[in-house]
Amino acid sequence: MNRVKAKEYASKALFAAAAIVCIVAVVAIFVFIVIRSIPALSKIGFFNFVFGDVWNPDRYDEYVTDPLAGRYGILTMIVGSIFSTVGALIIGGILGFFTAVFLARFCGPRVKRVFGAVINLLAGIPSVIYGFFGMAVIIPLFANISPTGDGAGLLVTSLVLGIMILPTVVALTKNGLEAVPQELYEGARALGATHEQAVFKTVVPAAKSSIVAALILGVGRAIGETMAVIMIAGNSPEIPGGLFGSFRTMTANIVLEMGYAGEVQMGALLATGVILLVFIAIINLLFGLVISGGKKNKGGKKLSLGVTMPKWLNFSAIGKVVSWVCAVFVAVFLVLIIGYIVIRGLPHITGDLLFKNYHYGGEPALLPAIVSTLLLIVVSIVIAVPLGIATAIFLNEYTKKGSKFVRIIRSSIDVLSGIPSIVYGLFGMLTFVVWFGGSSSILAGGFTISIMLLPTVIRSTEESLKAVPDSFREGSFALGAGKVRTIFKIVLPSALPGILSAVILAIGRVVSETAPLMYTMGSVLQPMPDGFLGSGATLAVALYALAGEYKYMDEAYATACVLMVLVLILNFFAGFIGKRLGKKFQGENNAVRKTKKQSKQSSED
Amino acid sequence: MLFGKRKNKASSLPKTEPQETAEGVVAETAAEELSYDGGITVKEANLHYGDFHALKNISIEIPEHRITAFIGPSGCGKSTFLKCFNRMNDLVAGCKVEGEFTIGNVNIYGNIDVNELRKNVGMVFQKPNPFPMSVYDNIVYGPRTFGIKKRAALDEIVERSLKQAAMWDELKDRLNKSALGLSGGQQQRLCIARALAVDPKIILMDEPTSALDPISTGKIEDLCMELKNDVTVVIVTHNMQQAARISDKTAFFLLGDLIEYGETDQIFDRPKDKKTEEYITGRFG
Repeated sequence: MNRVKAKEYASKALFAAAAIVCIVAVVAIFVFIVIRSIPALSKIGFFNFVFGDVWNPDRYDEYVTDPLAGRYGILTMIVGSIFSTVGALIIGGILGFFTAVFLARFCGPRVKRVFGAVINLLAGIPSVIYGFFGMAVIIPLFANISPTGDGAGLLVTSLVLGIMILPTVVALTKNGLEAVPQELYEGARALGATHEQAVFKTVVPAAKSSIVAALILGVGRAIGETMAVIMIAGNSPEIPGGLFGSFRTMTANIVLEMGYAGEVQMGALLATGVILLVFIAIINLLFGLVISGGKKNKGGKKLSLGVTMPKWLNFSAIGKVVSWVCAVFVAVFLVLIIGYIVIRGLPHITGDLLFKNYHYGGEPALLPAIVSTLLLIVVSIVIAVPLGIATAIFLNEYTKKGSKFVRIIRSSIDVLSGIPSIVYGLFGMLTFVVWFGGSSSILAGGFTISIMLLPTVIRSTEESLKAVPDSFREGSFALGAGKVRTIFKIVLPSALPGILSAVILAIGRVVSETAPLMYTMGSVLQPMPDGFLGSGATLAVALYALAGEYKYMDEAYATACVLMVLVLILNFFAGFIGKRLGKKFQGENNAVRKTKKQSKQSSED
Repeated sequence: MLFGKRKNKASSLPKTEPQETAEGVVAETAAEELSYDGGITVKEANLHYGDFHALKNISIEIPEHRITAFIGPSGCGKSTFLKCFNRMNDLVAGCKVEGEFTIGNVNIYGNIDVNELRKNVGMVFQKPNPFPMSVYDNIVYGPRTFGIKKRAALDEIVERSLKQAAMWDELKDRLNKSALGLSGGQQQRLCIARALAVDPKIILMDEPTSALDPISTGKIEDLCMELKNDVTVVIVTHNMQQAARISDKTAFFLLGDLIEYGETDQIFDRPKDKKTEEYITGRFG
């Protein structure tokens, strides 16, 4: 029996260790990037760096040379990031808010289901595809109306980023609206308010804090976005002059110059990452404040009822129309982006493109990219899935809610999920690339992206663990089974569909990520990778590389098509499997419900 | 016949031997040889959920091979008390148990293996909780937990447990079907069979029929009456008729106090305490 006990302790220790990895990762990311940027910051001067408006690095600058030949001010990029984020918030926030209102209150269950799927599809499309669509389709369109003749710049960036943050805004806003007690709505209707008035004057104000939280989270997404922006913003380091003014964001700056950066320049780019992290930290803080503030307010605050509004101001009726328009716009955009890429890409998907090896200087071929992607999936799943599942088990099966340790783990996971992907790339470049031999490799890319996957895997695993009824656990304990046996024989098998869907989602993430892989795994088309320690470009990176060469537009469309279809299939599959989890327990519930009904009937007899 | 067969098996187990010797020897060997054979003795039990004092100073002796019923209005602590006997309360955060709980010669809140305790003290829950696996796998879950792996031995256990739970004929052809497909009453009896599969000395039943229809309830009551030949049954019930019908002893709980405990006939015919009488005659609860 002591062996059983030893096993119990060992398992608990293992699960806890997995959870600690999350804390370690957060600390490591901050420490590595901050420490490595300090020499550059002290050389350039913090004030000159943040408030200097000239970015003109000299790649021969070294820390020992005195004075610096280049200029390292990132003010223009800070402004660029803020402008594009605000633009995204205006477009994505408004669209997202009204779409959420539409979904929560103005449509039937069937429309809601279809739209829910539409929004999920939008969320699943890789950012490099958004960038590619913006570059290849929207920019030429905008060029017609642009005074400069170039469609790139603030407007297109805001539009694309707005669409990209939309799923986040919609999901959170919709949840908030649906969580508003039905009594509030009914109360308003009972006082004579119309449906629109009740929704816009009663339900929406009641959900205010979650709407604000949704917008803040959207801002976090927008400011951290890299690949889409880099393809459409124009990228000149200046403050955008008007809607079609070219500009550069902080994230774009890192990707654009890291590849050939000199010593001080690289430090400055890392420091750009630090400033980005500061912005993310502020956003997270705001998010936390809004969420906790919203909870506190809920009890005491009195809500004004719509009926007191003057009837002539028919804001509510307009809102209804706007909701419809926004929802339709979102759906149309999705159909457009998927349809256009499929139509343009499908004819160019040829056997030569898919199944031929690539050699430098030859025609583009994707086989190496496909193989690299598969190898990357293997590495990252092997690392992230066991770690993520073990952490989720530790959080859900072993810990009590309020404990300090658990709070630290949870906030680490939150922080991890908020860190922009390019920062993961920087971290991987500073650590894994160095540890695995100094040059980019599939292994380094896999480790980097594994950390990124952890929050997704942990959260969805936890969801499915929570869905397993406690009665199963109790039943197992009551038979004398220990914790470990209960977890492995009862809880995990029951949660398996949910965990599987988490794994598939994670694979989808690996396939669609670009920014974290550029400087950890390889950024150009390459021949067949040389095992796990060789470097290679994934499909997504290959798309970015091909899109940069105008000569290979057809091949780029074909790659985009393959990539998009792959990701959509993976996401669809994940959703399909996830749904089976719910069905699994229905048999049990039905049986109980039936017997309850029977006993009720019989007691009436 | 069936039960006779099993009893023979039980007495052939080596660990029951010390009990046949003199009392002093039992006490001497107790240090090495823990035995859950025998009744349940509780002395001055107190239980707190955080600040809430849920059980107050309860002492009780529950005899072996009898059915003891715990009755009382909701929130009186009867289920909580039941869960002390297999330490399921350990799983509840903020729950603190004080007092002396002895089963057989084991101090169950001492330094013991909780899983071994739960092997000997089985439990059946209010809501049937079959695992999402086949009927067969449900029953052998416990035996497998304790290291029985041979298919033949497991087959034998399944047949024995299902016969003991009087559902072998119903289920012998669908052993490989999912247990979730059974009716509520069948699920609950399966859970009883599952509990029996590890050869427990005691079975705790926490309102086992409250989610069931009358016919299933009747079957489970019949089952309890037969089970007491082999095991000690402690049953929590809301249904006073049920307690009167099947139990040998009855304990009445009210707001965390044990108000009255005695032979079932005496409790229902001549309650000594005014509150017991009021509850039994339906004046509150």
